[in-house]
Amino acid sequence: MNKYTVINTHVHNVDGVAKVTGRAIYTFDVKLPGMLFGKILRSPHPHAKILNIDTSKALELPGVIGVVTGKDTLGVKQGIWRRYQDLCDEQILPVDKVRYIGEPVAAVAALTEEIAEQALDLIDVQYEVLPAVYDPMDAIKKEAPEIHQGFERNINVTRHIEWGDVEEAFDEAEYIREDWFKCGGQAHMCMETRAAVSSYTPDGKLTVYHSTQAPYYMQGLLAGVLGLKEGNIRVISHYVGGGFGGKFELDGAIFCSAVLSMKLFRPVKIVFTREEDFNATKRRTPMFYYVRTGVKKDGTFCAREAKVFTNGGAYTGMGATALYLTGFFHSFPYRWKGYRYDGYRVYTNTLPSTSMRGFGAPQAMFCSEQQIEWIAADLGLDSLEMRRKNAHYTGYEVPDQATIGSCGINQCFDTIKDWTEKKGKLPENRAIGFSAAGFMSGGIFNWFDTPYSFSSAVVTINNDGTVELHVGAQDIGQGSNTTLAIICAETLGIKVEDIKVHSGDTDHCPADLGAWGSRQTLMAGNAVKMAAEDAKKQLLEFAYAQSGFNIVYDLDIKKGWVHAIARPERGYDYAELVKKAIRAKDGQRIVGRGYYTPHRKGMISPAYSYMLQAVEVEVDRETGKIKIVDSLTAHDCGQPINHLGLIGQLEGAFSMAAGYGYLEYMPYEDGKLMNPNLVDYKVIRSTEMPDVPVAEIDTYEQEGPYGAKEAGEGLTNPTAAAIGNAIFHALGVQMKECPIRPEMIVNALKEKETKVRNKEVAHERASKVSRMR
Amino acid sequence: MIHDFTYLKPGTLQEALSMLSEHKDECKIICGGQSLLIVMRQGLLVTDYLIDIKGLKELSYIAYDEEGLKIGATTTHRAIETSEMIKQKYPVLVTVEKRLASIQVRNWGTIAGNLAHGDSSGDLAPTLIALNARIKLASSSGSRIVPLEEFYTGLFETAMEKDELVVEVQIPPVRPKTAVAYKKFNLIENDQAIVGVAAAVTVENGGACKEARLVLSNAGVTPIRAKSAEMVLIGKKLAGALLVKAGEAACGDADPVSDIHASEEYRRHLIKVLTERMLKQAWGQAAHS
Amino acid sequence: MEKQLLTLTVNDQKYELYISPKTLLVEVIRDHIGLTGTKRGCETVSCGVCTVMIDDMAVKSCSILAVQAEGRHITTVEGLEKNGKLAPIQKAFLDHGSYQCGFCTAGMLMSCAALLRENPSPTKTEIKEGIEGNICRCTGYNSIVRAVEALAKGNYKEE
Repeated sequence: MNKYTVINTHVHNVDGVAKVTGRAIYTFDVKLPGMLFGKILRSPHPHAKILNIDTSKALELPGVIGVVTGKDTLGVKQGIWRRYQDLCDEQILPVDKVRYIGEPVAAVAALTEEIAEQALDLIDVQYEVLPAVYDPMDAIKKEAPEIHQGFERNINVTRHIEWGDVEEAFDEAEYIREDWFKCGGQAHMCMETRAAVSSYTPDGKLTVYHSTQAPYYMQGLLAGVLGLKEGNIRVISHYVGGGFGGKFELDGAIFCSAVLSMKLFRPVKIVFTREEDFNATKRRTPMFYYVRTGVKKDGTFCAREAKVFTNGGAYTGMGATALYLTGFFHSFPYRWKGYRYDGYRVYTNTLPSTSMRGFGAPQAMFCSEQQIEWIAADLGLDSLEMRRKNAHYTGYEVPDQATIGSCGINQCFDTIKDWTEKKGKLPENRAIGFSAAGFMSGGIFNWFDTPYSFSSAVVTINNDGTVELHVGAQDIGQGSNTTLAIICAETLGIKVEDIKVHSGDTDHCPADLGAWGSRQTLMAGNAVKMAAEDAKKQLLEFAYAQSGFNIVYDLDIKKGWVHAIARPERGYDYAELVKKAIRAKDGQRIVGRGYYTPHRKGMISPAYSYMLQAVEVEVDRETGKIKIVDSLTAHDCGQPINHLGLIGQLEGAFSMAAGYGYLEYMPYEDGKLMNPNLVDYKVIRSTEMPDVPVAEIDTYEQEGPYGAKEAGEGLTNPTAAAIGNAIFHALGVQMKECPIRPEMIVNALKEKETKVRNKEVAHERASKVSRMR
Repeated sequence: MIHDFTYLKPGTLQEALSMLSEHKDECKIICGGQSLLIVMRQGLLVTDYLIDIKGLKELSYIAYDEEGLKIGATTTHRAIETSEMIKQKYPVLVTVEKRLASIQVRNWGTIAGNLAHGDSSGDLAPTLIALNARIKLASSSGSRIVPLEEFYTGLFETAMEKDELVVEVQIPPVRPKTAVAYKKFNLIENDQAIVGVAAAVTVENGGACKEARLVLSNAGVTPIRAKSAEMVLIGKKLAGALLVKAGEAACGDADPVSDIHASEEYRRHLIKVLTERMLKQAWGQAAHS
Repeated sequence: MEKQLLTLTVNDQKYELYISPKTLLVEVIRDHIGLTGTKRGCETVSCGVCTVMIDDMAVKSCSILAVQAEGRHITTVEGLEKNGKLAPIQKAFLDHGSYQCGFCTAGMLMSCAALLRENPSPTKTEIKEGIEGNICRCTGYNSIVRAVEALAKGNYKEE
């Protein structure tokens, strides 16, 4: 029984009509009067000094209005980890040297896109090519070329997480296993490529239309690199065609269009081609994982030690966070007596890597959950029971890291076990693989160094009872506008249809850290709840004064009816009450304010989601082709708020996670991406998607609005591991590299057969010898 | 960006042929453009004249008589895919078309455009070669018919003269006790073949193989007729070991490359597996037909 | 490059445009006529966000020269609604949450509309095959399939 009126009911997305009728204007669609079209010239070299850039011929081409290079900028090294200057290492339009193939070196603005493109061929760049290095294991060698000054052995960031006495915990273990893994990168591949329209006007104001996950971040970062005041920069981002973690840093589109506009005093639009989007926007971080795990023979987890090298690419981006989170979630969701993680992020001359949905956790789970499955197999234990035995629980404290406010993982096991048992015996070459996972509901760390609350909201009640909800939270398709409207509607006792959400405009909306790390439902949700409660309180105070109710009665609003909770038949029509309240306030609308910043919530997050996923996979033994046949995910996200949105997030996350598990291969050769297009980069299509049913586990998270936790990223975490585990059970091979491709499976089977044959031959030989004796 | 060109739109085939004859060195034919426009947009193909034959209705037909199936050059993939008659008489063509690119591409792209493009990883060419198809070429001085097997001369190269146009694809009637099967290996259903195998098998009354045509996709610079694999089968009865032998022989006939999708070794392995499977499928269907 | 006259009907409205023959149909729709519902997302005819209908056929407008659409009837996403009333497919999408970021939605709607025109009662497999040429990075496709299934069942009537 749903105890809520609006929460977790079937609510249409508030932006739905705009999106299904083609009315939604994305940055891709923006047209401003006098607008020019920009194109970026990119480095063909992975590592080179820029000796000289001659733009004269380009400037002579009719229709070219201007060209900029690093010399036209302030040369500021920026980065999203603003608090740590040494990690602010990217100029975007570099002045001195290029560090990856595809890095911008110049940008042109012209009357048409075609002229801008022609102009690129006329820019003459003189490079001094430097030796380059592509693999982190090569980049840390003593003789490797230095990519950034001052970073010895190209080690960009290190992270260390440790608790318990790890050596003692290993001594207690009765079985120890160690494995190496290689986790690939992944492209965000948003349907809308990177796009920006910048317009700088003679009054010193810059307006930017940008497809972004965090307008406030763009505002702050642009202020830093352009030498403008934040207040003189307006970032507009009403509709965003996907983000997935790739759109909350400055990119070439926003930066180059802004620099061009500031020089030319005309709007400049830059839209990346799909090829540019693949080649020159940051990707998921590829990682090398070494894991050593010690358990007791009964499956009790004792110790784990992980050493991870990540391929950071040419710049830091959000890599520092990914490096920490991967190490933390590699312990998730289990209790370890001793745990030690050492992460090294290494610069290489390849595309910078950054955050992508899951933020280091998909990689962490691919390694952890597979090794756990192999340990269970080695010891002859039921892997689900082994997991259950060691799982987190509500109230558990991950030493020095986190307190688990709510945890529904235990209920997940029964759901998955039931489903698996009902499946019975599966046909040959088909098996079920499991993976547990979890994720954070936003991060606690203020690496952006913002002075503002992490989330803020303003609720304004109009005379007719409708509400203006101003939030800084950004809807990138995940439905945050709707989710926040639902929270506001539930609190105020009104309908979602009566709320207008204002977001995506820094001129009119409060600052908010934006859509990443699955933070918005919890953090912006809390801000909205607080703002709505503030507005509600003012209205109820007036109602108390009006009503003359006995002081023992509490009032509430439900379905537009302001009433005494104990006597719901006694009350007032909300809309009528609002009119009177505004009159009583001298004509002022009722305004409620709310905000949220996590305080003292551990090292990572105020709340964690949990899940257990089972994937049924069929493998063609001869070709190695993988097909996901069925799945079930038992999922704890606290109180679901936006029902349609939640299902969408779960199914969408699965499609991306499955892609990471077996399809989305990103091969580089000498620093060059070999498949920067949608023919050769494989994204899952409708014909490949299985059903993705989800069983919601009921929990209540104290820290979240109405008990809600994240649901946007967690489900990207288990699937690669689950696929690997299914293949392990179907074919008996251990796949230590993702994405798992058919050729790898065929090779693994061949290797297995060879090992088996060698054993048989050796055995035969030994018995022959013993017979001879 | 597409480079500038002069656009010509002939109203009849004759007009098209004389335009071709006039501009032969500096022109390109566009029909559906589903393959052509991609390379033009990348600037990889530059042409002074573009002759658009998409509107030539006289070349859009699917006809069947005692000589077999005749498909006009500008017939779309979708028309072939949805033709009841082709489903009856040449079901493998419908199977192949269903897995070709996407519905949108099939709605506008044409059979001739596909074949003339000469992509060795295409599905239609190997299947049609297995069906013993011929291609009719026309120029302002006449026409000629070329077995499709001889049509491909190199990577994206065909036997067409500069003033010739594909006008028709001819497929002989399927002989009794004959079946044709095609399968490509890819990660996503309608993607291009990593490799593909088309197998046509004709059996004798006793079940032995009378004739076989085995054609490989993306196993060389052109579709490859795996003749040594075919030789293995003639006169023999269907057996697992025979198929394995044929698979190995097909490997030997193939000349696949290594690329990001598959190594040469893996392609050979897939050719072996698909050959066995398609031969078995075609053989079984032929025996029961 | 010499421009030429192009006459075509888009969403029941006749247009006369003066364009260079190398103009793509999607450019005519978006830039010349100004209907920005139809999007672009790749250079390899892969993603499907540019899907429109020519007559009743779904096509990718990025890989068709506009001159080839001379005299034809084009339908874009803007042409689905009639006098402010949403088409059944649009209503079904709203009810099933069959979109998230919305960038693929116009093309997806056109592919679904074209599928239903040809086959009013598609099976689940036929629906999946019908949208196979359209990539969606957000939804995982299943909510789109559910919307079309509901339509095929007759849950939505044309007003």
